[in-house]
Amino acid sequence: MDYAIQTAISALSFGSFYALGALGIGLLFSILRLINFAHGDFITVGGFALIVPSSAVVATLSIGGFHPALLAICIVALVVVLALISYFLVFQHVQNSSPATMMIVSFALGYTLQNVIIMIYGGRPKAVNIFSELTGRVQLSDGVSVQILQLVIIAVTWILLIALVLFLKRTRVGIQMRAAAEDFRMARMLGVNGKNVIALAFILSGGLAGIMSLLFVTQTGVLTFRMGVPIMLFFFIATVIGGMGSLVGAVVGGYAVGIVSVVLSAILPEQLRGFRDACVFILVIVVLLARPQGLVLTKAAKERV
Amino acid sequence: MLLNVDNITVHYSRLPALRGVSVTVDEGEIVCIVGPNGAGKSTTLLSISGVLNPTEGVITFDGMTINGMSPEAVARAGISQVPEGRHVFTSLNVEENLRIGTSIRKDRSEIEKDFKRVLDIFPVLAERRKQPAGKLSGGEQQMLVIGRALLTNPRIMTIDEPSLGLAPNLVDRVYETLLDLRRERGLTLLIVEQSSERALQAADRLYVLRSGEMQLEGNAADLRDGEKVRQAYFGFEEGAVHEDEVAF
Ligand SMILES: Nc1ncnc2c1ncn2[C@@H]1O[C@H](COP(=O)(O)OP(=O)(O)O)[C@@H](O)[C@H]1O
Ligand SMILES: [Mg+2]
Repeated sequence: MDYAIQTAISALSFGSFYALGALGIGLLFSILRLINFAHGDFITVGGFALIVPSSAVVATLSIGGFHPALLAICIVALVVVLALISYFLVFQHVQNSSPATMMIVSFALGYTLQNVIIMIYGGRPKAVNIFSELTGRVQLSDGVSVQILQLVIIAVTWILLIALVLFLKRTRVGIQMRAAAEDFRMARMLGVNGKNVIALAFILSGGLAGIMSLLFVTQTGVLTFRMGVPIMLFFFIATVIGGMGSLVGAVVGGYAVGIVSVVLSAILPEQLRGFRDACVFILVIVVLLARPQGLVLTKAAKERV
Repeated sequence: MLLNVDNITVHYSRLPALRGVSVTVDEGEIVCIVGPNGAGKSTTLLSISGVLNPTEGVITFDGMTINGMSPEAVARAGISQVPEGRHVFTSLNVEENLRIGTSIRKDRSEIEKDFKRVLDIFPVLAERRKQPAGKLSGGEQQMLVIGRALLTNPRIMTIDEPSLGLAPNLVDRVYETLLDLRRERGLTLLIVEQSSERALQAADRLYVLRSGEMQLEGNAADLRDGEKVRQAYFGFEEGAVHEDEVAF
């Protein structure tokens, strides 16, 4: 029973992390039809921004040494700026191209960011400790102890989800974003400023990536130039499973992937654990065979059928 | 002249969808463009709204050149389009759909007044304020998109096939509403239709468009008997080819 509770919290925490990632992808896709494979690398850049740029083996904290609140604000702001720059410098110029073209451009951007990191910081992994208090454990009851960070990830995710829902439902700009996501051309014909809406989607997506940089680096304690790539793969899978273009779908997909991964780790026999990701991918294929449109169907997706 | 579409040519691919098309609309007028399916009617309206860019020709609105401007800039300038197929935002509720129409406006108190006015004109929208717009019937959706376009406070409204998919009594309701709007707030209208009977009754002036070229222009009153319109509409191999498509 205790083990089950611990596993459940761990599953929710993984699911939350993937849901945040999938949401970052989904926000851009819903408006721009862009699958931004550089999203994972945005997270990486946010991590490296914590330390002094140098190829030295031992990392020295820069922003990472700030007061926690200031640290968080700086990293999030930096990644937001990075996302905005990539819109104005890169994606803006291909936004009328096919989704495939935009996706390839995002790969190129991602590789560019990775190589810039190698140039500045070198290719070796670096140890970084931030928010180290959070990696400790709390005793929930007699037999149950969980990592504080897992609870923080779950809480942060739900705070962000609620904030995002309120923003999209209650504010003028949020309603404009939903309209643009459903029918971009119509929204523009009614005077909604297309460029502003897209820029805002990049800001929100970048903000999520920045927050994820903090959570991820706190969790792993290591920076590597490719660290965004494998998680990006899971975010992408989560958005596909949830149904491209639906934000609810992105969250559902994120939780599905996170929970399945953790549960598989818990129940797979010892010898098979190394193949956990393979098992996840097999499940993904099965889901997509049964529901090619993903779990949550959007109007836009229905129209394309 | 409020709107002047001067000799525009528009391409989707190598072949032009419009060739040297001209349309003018004066303040307070109701102008109608009719033509068979594929004539280029929607292309004309989309060019006016800045969605498509003419390769030749100019479009001016109140003296200002608007071709090359973005759709949102055209909307801001005072042209509001109700496009073919209505395009309600189905995942937004009725009120939110209407609110999108006010995106370009800052005059808070005027917005609220206009909002109430639109709900007065279309009481059914008031009843369904909080319902998802996708749940409305075709006629209600047509009311919604007209109301939404009105809320941009346009000087001219362009409407693409308002009668498409509506029962005849609803078509009459829509046209009555449009005529009321002209009478009460001097709204200028550019309407596109496939069949010209209802349009002829409402319009001051009529254009007939076929195969991307303007065939005929005239005062609706002079064209009431319909023979000239029919000729222009069908071209020379008249009647037999398309007779079933359109009811005169
Ligand atoms: N998106 C598009 N891509 C390519 N060709 C198009 C497109 N839309 C319309 N066309 C072509 O342009 C011509 C005019 O179309 P349209 O303006 O929609 O006509 P109408 O509204 O009068 O029925 C037609 O031949 C049509 O096939
Ligand atoms: Mg049309």
